Amino acid sequence: MISVIVNHPLFGLLATLIGYQLALELNQRTRTLLTQPVMVATLIVVGLLLLLDVDFESYYASADLIWLLLGPTTVALAVPLYTHLKRIRDYFWPLLIALLVGGFTTVLLTLGLAWVFGAGPQLLASLAPKSVTSPIAILLAEDLGGSPALAAVFVMITGVAGAVMAPFLLKLVGIHLPAARGFTLGLNAHAAGTALALEEDEEAGAFAALAMSLTGAVTAILLPLFYSFW
Amino acid sequence: MWGLLLLVLLQMLGSLINAAGLALPGPVIGMLLLLGLLLLLGRVPEPLQVTSSQLLKYLPLMLIPPAVGILSQWQVITSSFLAISVALLGSLLISIPLTAWLLQRLVKRKAVSQ
Repeated sequence: MISVIVNHPLFGLLATLIGYQLALELNQRTRTLLTQPVMVATLIVVGLLLLLDVDFESYYASADLIWLLLGPTTVALAVPLYTHLKRIRDYFWPLLIALLVGGFTTVLLTLGLAWVFGAGPQLLASLAPKSVTSPIAILLAEDLGGSPALAAVFVMITGVAGAVMAPFLLKLVGIHLPAARGFTLGLNAHAAGTALALEEDEEAGAFAALAMSLTGAVTAILLPLFYSFW
Repeated sequence: MWGLLLLVLLQMLGSLINAAGLALPGPVIGMLLLLGLLLLLGRVPEPLQVTSSQLLKYLPLMLIPPAVGILSQWQVITSSFLAISVALLGSLLISIPLTAWLLQRLVKRKAVSQ
């Protein structure tokens, strides 16, 4: 009986939708950053697959309806980037400098710390794009010889951890400028950070969205270059 | 429908440029091409706006299948747990205050000089 469902060409779609719906439900009830829906949904789907004894390959093949659209959706990220780019005129040079310094610091620290603690090249390549929005991080990790799955998970952990740690760290260094708070959140904690900044105020939210879009685009261009000279 | 057509065409074009030797993922090249087009045009055409916001609404769902791949990566996570945690948390611990401090300082200095 179960085998009919498990071997159905839409099984992966069904499992993913069930996982996501349950995760959304949990997130709405608890209203905390720690129940980030994609992360919870991933764990639910992993649990389902283990329970039903389905391997990743057959799940992935039967969820193709969903992930095949990831490419066109990544192209579509140009639209919010274009919309938010108008904000950059407010503080062009400060934002550009903060973007490059912040972006490079994150990547170098991540790689350096992981290397010191014994990470191999495949793990390093999966960690490198961790501050970038997931669809781009998955592509970059694959390109650099890492694992897209690990990259996706590291991005989610970074988003949640960044959004949890940021309010305390920003207070510690006395950051009250909404543009600086928002931009930092978007650069370091992408989607989760942007959501948090939007809760703070509209200006912080706009700068977070700008930072998230810019970090994605700039990292996508610079990281492969940086890696080829490594 | 030409919003979706344009997105798929740009992704294909990105893959062609990638195959021709540019070391960026195809969809990323497509995104940069679309950004260039929008900057030239100076606005977002309605059909593209509609398609993009609908696709982006489903983005979280699309990220689940690739992430489920950790199923076959448990060993990496458990064997390198320390390296992963230190790298992910340590970089945030330094990068968040540094970025924010630098940006606030630069903005304030600009405000003073004006």
